[in-house]
Amino acid sequence: MYLTVPFERAWHHRELIRAVVRRELKSRFRGSLLGWVWAIAAPLVMLLAYTFVFSIALPVQAQNISITEYAGNIFCGLIVFNLFSELAYRAPMLLHEHASFVKKSIFPSEAIAWIASIRAFVYAGISFVVLLVFRLVTAHWLPATIVLTPLVVLPFALLMLGIVWFLMGLGAFTKDVAHLMISIVPIMMFATPIFYTFDQLPAHIVPWLKLNVVGDYIDMLRDLVIYGELPNLVVYVVCAIVSYAVFMLGYTFFMRYKSVIVDVI
Amino acid sequence: MSSDVVISCRNVGKAFQLYTHYNDQLKQALLGFWKKFYNQHWVLNDVSFEVRKGERIGIIGRNGAGKTTLLQIICGITTPTTGEVKVEGRIAPILALGAGFDGSLTGRENARIGGAILGLKRNEVERRLPAIAEFAGIGQFLDQQVKYYSTGMVARLAFAVCAHADADILIIDEALAVGDEGFQAKCERYVEEFARRGTILMVSHSLDYLRALSDRLLWIDGGKVRAFGDPGPIIADYRAAVLGQALAAQA
Repeated sequence: MYLTVPFERAWHHRELIRAVVRRELKSRFRGSLLGWVWAIAAPLVMLLAYTFVFSIALPVQAQNISITEYAGNIFCGLIVFNLFSELAYRAPMLLHEHASFVKKSIFPSEAIAWIASIRAFVYAGISFVVLLVFRLVTAHWLPATIVLTPLVVLPFALLMLGIVWFLMGLGAFTKDVAHLMISIVPIMMFATPIFYTFDQLPAHIVPWLKLNVVGDYIDMLRDLVIYGELPNLVVYVVCAIVSYAVFMLGYTFFMRYKSVIVDVI
Repeated sequence: MSSDVVISCRNVGKAFQLYTHYNDQLKQALLGFWKKFYNQHWVLNDVSFEVRKGERIGIIGRNGAGKTTLLQIICGITTPTTGEVKVEGRIAPILALGAGFDGSLTGRENARIGGAILGLKRNEVERRLPAIAEFAGIGQFLDQQVKYYSTGMVARLAFAVCAHADADILIIDEALAVGDEGFQAKCERYVEEFARRGTILMVSHSLDYLRALSDRLLWIDGGKVRAFGDPGPIIADYRAAVLGQALAAQA
C-alpha cells in the first residue's frame, strides 16, 4: 500500500539512519568542553530570558495569567516553532551538505529527511524536559495529560518530514528556496501563537491564524502540558489528516525528482 | 537473463542536461512540458554488455569517456536516460574513497557509518571492526579524527570497509592509486581472492594493473563501447589510439 511506503523505506534503512543520527548528535558538541551541557543550557537561558522580559519589562502582556504560566506558554510555543524554523532553514541546503553521500555512495537520499528531523526532535525533546522541570518547580504540578503528548508530536513529526522533503527537493534545484525561507520564517513567527495565545486575540482574526497548522500544534501542546486539558478533537483530527497529507505529498514530490536531483547537485 | 549473468546493460544511454543558467534546472523541472531549457549532452550512448558471476572486468577509456557515469548507473546512484540495467546481488562501490567520511569523527565511527551505508547491521559492523582495522593497517590512527589522516590513510580505511561489506559485486573507480605499494599489493591480493566468490568492475588508468588482474576489458570511448574482450589486444589498441592522438597533437 502506497500510504505506508515511506515508513517501510525508513525501516529498511533504520541502521543507516541510526548510525548517521548518532554521528550528527555526537559531532555537534565535539570539541566543546561542556558538550551536552549546552543542549540544556541554551533552552534554559532562553526560558529565563523570556520570563524576565515578560514579567519585569513588559508585564502588561501577562495581565490575567501568572508570569511563570506565561513564560511556560511562550517556551512551549518556542520549542515547537524553533524546531520548525531549524528544519525550514536547513532543509533547502540538506542535499548540498550531503552531496558526497548522495553522489558518491549508494546512499538513499530520502533518508536525509529522517536524519535531519530526528536530530531536530532530539534537541526539542531536551528543551521539552527543561520545560517540564520548569513547570514542576514553578507550578508544583504536572498535568496527567502530559502522557498524551506523543499523540500530538507524532502527526507534527509527519508534517515536518513532509516539509523537509519538499524543501530539500526544491532546494537542490535552486538556492532561492534557502533565501525565501530566511524571509518567510520570521513572518511565520508572528503568525504563530508563540508570544500570545488564541484567546488573547480579536475573534475575527483567529480562524485565519488557525490555518497555520504549526500554531494549532502549539495550542494543543499547551493544552496538554500547561493547562491539563484535552485539545479539541476536531482540530486534532484535521491537523493529523493535513499533516499526513503533507507527509505523503512531500515524499512523493521528493521521490519523483530524486533521480534528477543526483545530476543537478 | 541467464542465471550466471550478474550485470546486464542493454542500450544504456545517459544524457546530461547542460544548463546555461543555474535556475534553468528548476524551470525545466517545473515547466519542462512547455519548453526546453537545456542542451543535451550524451555521456553514454547505446552501451550494452553483460558480466557473468566471478568475472573481473577492467574498464578503460580517456577522461570524460563516461566510465564513472557508467559505474554510477550500475550502482543505482543515477538513472539511465535510455536503456536498461539489471544487477543481481549486493554492490559495494568504491567510487570516491572516503566520500562519506566526516573529518570530525574518528576512523572507527566513520567505519560504522560506511558499513551502514553498505547495508551492514550495527552488530555486523562491530564484529568486523577488528578485521577492518587489521586490513586498513593504520594502527592507533583508527581512533583519531579523520581530518588528521593522510590521503593514503583515508583510502586504506575506505577500502577496508568496502572489503568487509559482504558484497556480491565490487566496483572500484580509480581507487587504488593512492595507497602505497604495500597497500596496493594487499588490495590486489584481495581483488584476486574476492573474484573467487564475487564479481569485480574496476576503472583504472594503470594498464599493467588491469592486464594482470582482469579477465575482460571494456573500452569506453566517447560514451560508446569501443571494445569488450581479451585484455591483451585491447590494451595494445588502446595504447596505439591514445598515444597516436597524443603524438598527432604534438606534431
